[in-house]
Amino acid sequence: MTVKRYQAEIGTALVTGGLGVAAIIGAAELGTGWGDHGPQAGYFPFWVAIVLVGASLWNLGRAIVTHRQALRTPPDPLDDPEDPFLPRDHLGRVAMFLAAMTAFVIGTLMLGLYVAATLYIGWSAWRQGGFRPWIGLSLGAIFAVALYVIFEVTFQIPLLKGPLEPLLGIY
Amino acid sequence: MGNFDLLMHGFSIAITPTHLMLMVAGVLMGLVVGVLPGLGAPNGVSLLIPLTFALDPTSAIILLSSMYWGALFGGSTTSILFNIPGEPSSVATTFDGYPMARNGESTRALTLAFVSSGVGALMGIMVITLLAGWASQFALKFGAPEYFAVYFLAFAAFIGMGSASPAKTLVSLTTGLILASVGMDTVTGAIRLTYGFSDLLGGVSFLVVVIGLFGIGELLSTVQEGLRFRGVNSKIDLRDVLKTLAELPRYWATTLRSGLIGIWMGITPGGPTAASFMSYGVARQASRKGAAFGTGRPEGIVAPETADHSAGTCAMLPMLALGVPSSATAAVMMGGLMIWGLTPGPMLFATQPDFVWGLIASMYVSNLLGVILVLATVPMFAALLRIPFTIIGPMIVVICFVGAYTVGSATFDLWLVLAFGLVGYVFSKLDYPLAPLILAMVLGHKAENSFHQSMLLSDGSLGIFFANPLVTGIMMVALALLILPKTLGLALSLRRRKEIAP
Amino acid sequence: MTLKSALIAATAIGTAGPALAEWAPTRPIEFVVASGAGGGTDNFARTIQSAMTRNEIVDRNMVVLNKGGGSGAEAFLYARQNAADPHKLIFGTNNVYLLPHVAQLAYSAEDLQPVAALALDEFLIWVKADAPWQTPMELIEAAMAEPGSIVFGGSQSKDTDETLVALIEQTTGADFKYIPFNGGGEVGVQLAGGHVAANVNNPNENIGQWQAGAIRPLCVFSPERMAESEPVSGDMGWHDIPTCVEQGLDIERYQMPRTVWLPAGTEPEVVAYYEDILTQVAATAEWQDYLSKTSQTAAALTGDELTAFIAENEAATVTVFEAEGWTTAAAQ
Repeated sequence: MTVKRYQAEIGTALVTGGLGVAAIIGAAELGTGWGDHGPQAGYFPFWVAIVLVGASLWNLGRAIVTHRQALRTPPDPLDDPEDPFLPRDHLGRVAMFLAAMTAFVIGTLMLGLYVAATLYIGWSAWRQGGFRPWIGLSLGAIFAVALYVIFEVTFQIPLLKGPLEPLLGIY
Repeated sequence: MGNFDLLMHGFSIAITPTHLMLMVAGVLMGLVVGVLPGLGAPNGVSLLIPLTFALDPTSAIILLSSMYWGALFGGSTTSILFNIPGEPSSVATTFDGYPMARNGESTRALTLAFVSSGVGALMGIMVITLLAGWASQFALKFGAPEYFAVYFLAFAAFIGMGSASPAKTLVSLTTGLILASVGMDTVTGAIRLTYGFSDLLGGVSFLVVVIGLFGIGELLSTVQEGLRFRGVNSKIDLRDVLKTLAELPRYWATTLRSGLIGIWMGITPGGPTAASFMSYGVARQASRKGAAFGTGRPEGIVAPETADHSAGTCAMLPMLALGVPSSATAAVMMGGLMIWGLTPGPMLFATQPDFVWGLIASMYVSNLLGVILVLATVPMFAALLRIPFTIIGPMIVVICFVGAYTVGSATFDLWLVLAFGLVGYVFSKLDYPLAPLILAMVLGHKAENSFHQSMLLSDGSLGIFFANPLVTGIMMVALALLILPKTLGLALSLRRRKEIAP
Repeated sequence: MTLKSALIAATAIGTAGPALAEWAPTRPIEFVVASGAGGGTDNFARTIQSAMTRNEIVDRNMVVLNKGGGSGAEAFLYARQNAADPHKLIFGTNNVYLLPHVAQLAYSAEDLQPVAALALDEFLIWVKADAPWQTPMELIEAAMAEPGSIVFGGSQSKDTDETLVALIEQTTGADFKYIPFNGGGEVGVQLAGGHVAANVNNPNENIGQWQAGAIRPLCVFSPERMAESEPVSGDMGWHDIPTCVEQGLDIERYQMPRTVWLPAGTEPEVVAYYEDILTQVAATAEWQDYLSKTSQTAAALTGDELTAFIAENEAATVTVFEAEGWTTAAAQ
């Protein structure tokens, strides 16, 4: 599966337009006109969202028009809307990276930041970097300790902790 | 002249052991974030802001601005050695810097880049020094309508002068404005666009958005390319440095011209990225050997670097004097200023002279320090890129998420970073500019508030934006910036087409 | 203070073992601040933090957490989410119990347990130095003559400043125009620049402009004049400012308490512990220094005194809210 550039353009325009519509709905609930004290709370977001929807429609139209044109005329080698947006190998790499990152976020919420960071860095070094698992894990652990020293000890900023830290006497 | 005394006073504040140490630390940290592809200046500064709460504002701004200069230097290092721009503003440096380094003249390329950066920065700071005193006389003239006009000007300039398609700039800008209006509205006290989620009550922090858009977004772009560094030798040879220094005066015309372009783009919201591209283009046009650009011409390095740094430093002036940042990093720094309890704007010069002049004086010192430090440490920082990406990449990811978490200690922000990482990746692939989004997030509230306040003052009449010469003047410039560049471009291309067609 | 702690110590020794009766923190204490860093509430919390550390009142670490979103609602929601957690102190003003009246929020004042009020911030009427009005009544008469012509600037909307302006209107029948800005500092600048006619800033927010001779105070909303001080502007000090009642404006008291809270549901021993250490803080040199620098009035209210103060303050303010029609459906 490859995503073409014009498809990505259309998708993005739809998403930004959707955001605009959501904002219009949210603003409409607050009142978009003029009250006793000047503009109502929804006035500014409402008009901004109208502009956003307009600009998104413009981008959408443009993507469709250039796509139609490109089908008829020989492609411009520099800026071809039929160019793949994400070739398969790129897609694979980006998807893998994103999945690992999402797993890290979920891990942070469940196990706390330090444990999740150790596992994430360790896993990445092991599976993707070809290091031995224990090297990866110790790299991750060193990094986590460095974070602890910088944030909690030096600047006294608490980071997310999970079930493990209290067992070690760290709050 | 008063400015000179104030500057001397500023030096007495800036040159203390603590502040010198902060400058060195800031420049070094800046070099790290500049060198690493996943971290840029706006992102690095965002990560650092929560750590500055314990410092007094002057020390904090010295640390942050030094980091900015360091990041600008660091960005050029990887452009030249690896053909990977560490910063968007150093993209133009890759055109001639990397070929020169490939030809075995990496020391020459780096020295040219760093020293002309330093010169560009000095030109920028001198302009700030001269204009700063004058800016404070403006102090009290700014009421709500004037402020709105200035914000309008900033938005208009981005749409009119940006290189991206105006519709895409507009999407980016309005998305930022909508994000900014989430949460409690100060003017009406209403809670807006939270759709019942209490996580959104406090609004969406621009710092979190910056970390997502620039940090995670850029990492995804790097991952997509598979990230294989094709580096060149990064040893610095002192003799080559001196030889290059002797060669520099030859490019005085390029330097001067690029510096002026940078100053102009820094004061108007063009920003360093636009400045470096513009300056590179102009240098190529002006050079008799224009065709050889792209093969390692020294002017091709001097021009973008000088403009990049003079724009970067000059971006501080509108940020401090009017509260309108002209680059993404300046926008982040201004957010920091407000977090420390300072109100950027004309009054800052009158009420906080120690802060303003301490910062200006520190800019002289830290840029000089920067040139020396960067030359001394380049081999070390270039080695960072030799760490396999499979290790450094996840570490950058962790730093980004930690940074986002420390902003508000909210787990919801972690999801936001992930989402905005995707947005940043897709936006930059499709040529949506990211800087207007950040600018809008920082200015959105202020623009809306000043509009609202103006409407309250005038009982709903838009005439208040043309009620006195000052506000009318600003509005006119804004409208001109909005409409003229594109229409002029259109007219020119039409005429050219006519000339070609018989 | 000494008597109280001595009593607690005595009962501790007298009844159970020394370790049991008195509660003490076992982890770092989180100071949750209902304003951004650098705001008035933030300074309040950080002053207490440094007074506690320097005088070794608490031997645990204290971590400051700024949650200023939604005019502070973010911090109070956080308290609700961490009900019964004895290691979280919440710092605010009267916004804790006033906010739910004007905005629909996912917490109520019952989600927080009051611990102490440590200072009262004063409100004054300020005008530009060259303004024609010499007394508050002259200002009010000018507003009566031309309703809506005189512009008051203030920070936030439906917050303390707008409430006070509304209270002046309700007391005198004058009609002002109120324009909200982001913070007291900004309002001070707008007044000095002549873009608004008057404001009701706290002393600390306007001291710079007053020193510079750009603005001057008309009266203070306090039953007594403020404490003696060094001259601030010319030969005038804080004590030389008349009270509003002296000047014929019949609002005896309008002050904003700086308050400390715990999440609801903690043990009484926990509340007693924090009451004790906060009363100790009020006696430190750091605290006195903070009060005089920010020209606030000292107060050390705990227990029943505090409950009574809150009830009175809340009732009085809600009357103003109701008259202005600000109260939300949910709170009614």
